[in-house]
Amino acid sequence: MSDALRIDPTDWRTDTMRRRIRARYAAERRFRLAGLAAILISVGFLAFLLITMFVNGIGGLDWTFLTGSDATDPDRVGIWGAFKGSLLTMLVTIALAFPIGVLSAVYLEEYAPRNRWTDVIEVSINNLAAVPSIIFGLLGLAVFLNTMHLPRSAPLVGGLTLALMTMPVIVIAGRNAIKSVPPSIRDAALGVGASRIQVVFHHVLPLALPGILTGTIIGMARALGETAPLLMIGMRAFIASPPQGFTDPATALPVQIFLWSDEVSRGFVEKTSAAIIVLLAFMLVMNGLAIYLRNRFETRW
Amino acid sequence: MDMETTLAPKMTAANVNVFYGDKRAIEDVSIDVSREHVTAFIGPSGCGKSTFLRTLNRMNDTIANARVEGLIELDGEDIYGPAMEVEQLRARVGMVFQKPNPFPKSIYENVAYGPRIHGFAAGKVELDAMVERALVRAGLWEEVKDRLSESGTALSGGQQQRLCIARAIAVDPEVILMDEPCSALDPIATAKIEELIHELRGRYAIVIVTHNMQQAARVSQRTAFFHLGVLVEYGETTEIFTNPRQKRTEDYITGRYG
Repeated sequence: MSDALRIDPTDWRTDTMRRRIRARYAAERRFRLAGLAAILISVGFLAFLLITMFVNGIGGLDWTFLTGSDATDPDRVGIWGAFKGSLLTMLVTIALAFPIGVLSAVYLEEYAPRNRWTDVIEVSINNLAAVPSIIFGLLGLAVFLNTMHLPRSAPLVGGLTLALMTMPVIVIAGRNAIKSVPPSIRDAALGVGASRIQVVFHHVLPLALPGILTGTIIGMARALGETAPLLMIGMRAFIASPPQGFTDPATALPVQIFLWSDEVSRGFVEKTSAAIIVLLAFMLVMNGLAIYLRNRFETRW
Repeated sequence: MDMETTLAPKMTAANVNVFYGDKRAIEDVSIDVSREHVTAFIGPSGCGKSTFLRTLNRMNDTIANARVEGLIELDGEDIYGPAMEVEQLRARVGMVFQKPNPFPKSIYENVAYGPRIHGFAAGKVELDAMVERALVRAGLWEEVKDRLSESGTALSGGQQQRLCIARAIAVDPEVILMDEPCSALDPIATAKIEELIHELRGRYAIVIVTHNMQQAARVSQRTAFFHLGVLVEYGETTEIFTNPRQKRTEDYITGRYG
């Protein structure tokens, strides 16, 4: 009886205890090293890519290159045509994918009843986001070119196709962002007599916008680097003059890189690297803009 | 329930049932809400007092599988009837929630939001006056008048709750529903809210849900005791607390369960 009531203070100085603590410290160290190694591997690859590109491509970055279009002679080729094609394509993509994606997300989160149909829609959207891009290219070819007879090789069709691909990403990110807006804010707005649309546009969307923009950045960055679907709809043609509008034949930066990398002439190696630098710079500017917008909305209050 | 009221009740509920799916959360509740008194709903957790409160301004509409049966009237108008716009109803029957929930906007914008969406103010000057009046009535004006552009979420918990009361007052409601408004506040902030309820009494019909019996005794003139979704007893607060007619009420009030 007295045994059960006796209190023995733990002796922290025994060898077993010391060994246990030493093992714990060693585990901490091992984990830190493993994490550092993981970071170093990805940073190393990125640095390798950037350095190689710069070393190979910086010589090709001159005024002729930045303002010209595709040509057969590697000394006279330029990136402006492909750049403008990418720009027009991205404009079409964001103009479609952003509003439609955000509306879908709002509808699914705030309006749609929870039943079997919305479950089916949800699963379909999640699957759509994982469909290989070449399939979207085939879809674009079948629907926009063969059925709707839109012009071949045009940024309009490229943008439509990439919008189909980007939309699910924006819907998923948008739904998560909308879901993370606390219900108490909705209650507060409903409580003073706001209608559901007012709740969505005055409160939910502004609070969800940073998250929606993050998803949009990811989707747009993926669309900008996408090559395969554009090949399917004919944006791989040899285009010697920059497109003047959304329906002119054009190519895009990643497609141009793909085409040049296939050329046998030695002069194109440098131009391919230079084009990659331009593509990366475009992507950085686009992401920078989106991050700037996101931070602006986040610090508004 | 013999209540001698000189005026017609502000709200009446007759044989109200609330279901969540198949589960009945409120059983056959009939109650009158007096226009000149504070009415307290008390009862143990999960007894349905908050659920019933939320039927009075149709906040339960936002819960997917909630269903309300029975008749609830505001000045004789059926609030679930086809002629009642739910937005208008919620402006007339305002609500203050358990956890202070100011919008992540400035203090001014929090209060101005209601008048703005209902188009009450003709211009900036009028809106300013409305915001000031609501903040004065909520007893917050002196504390925030020099920092109206600061975020409402930066205020202390008690101030946030008074801001929420000001936000509800700003649309000139006829009834204010308060769902355990002090449960997240410290005793000093609670005392301020209770004081405020005293001051608002008479101007608005007030219904307050509370799990704190002392609070019900302090702030209300009418008390309704709910248990397991049933309205067990409803009457003068002094009667309920000193001379309850039902055994269950007496047991709860004397702390035999809760």
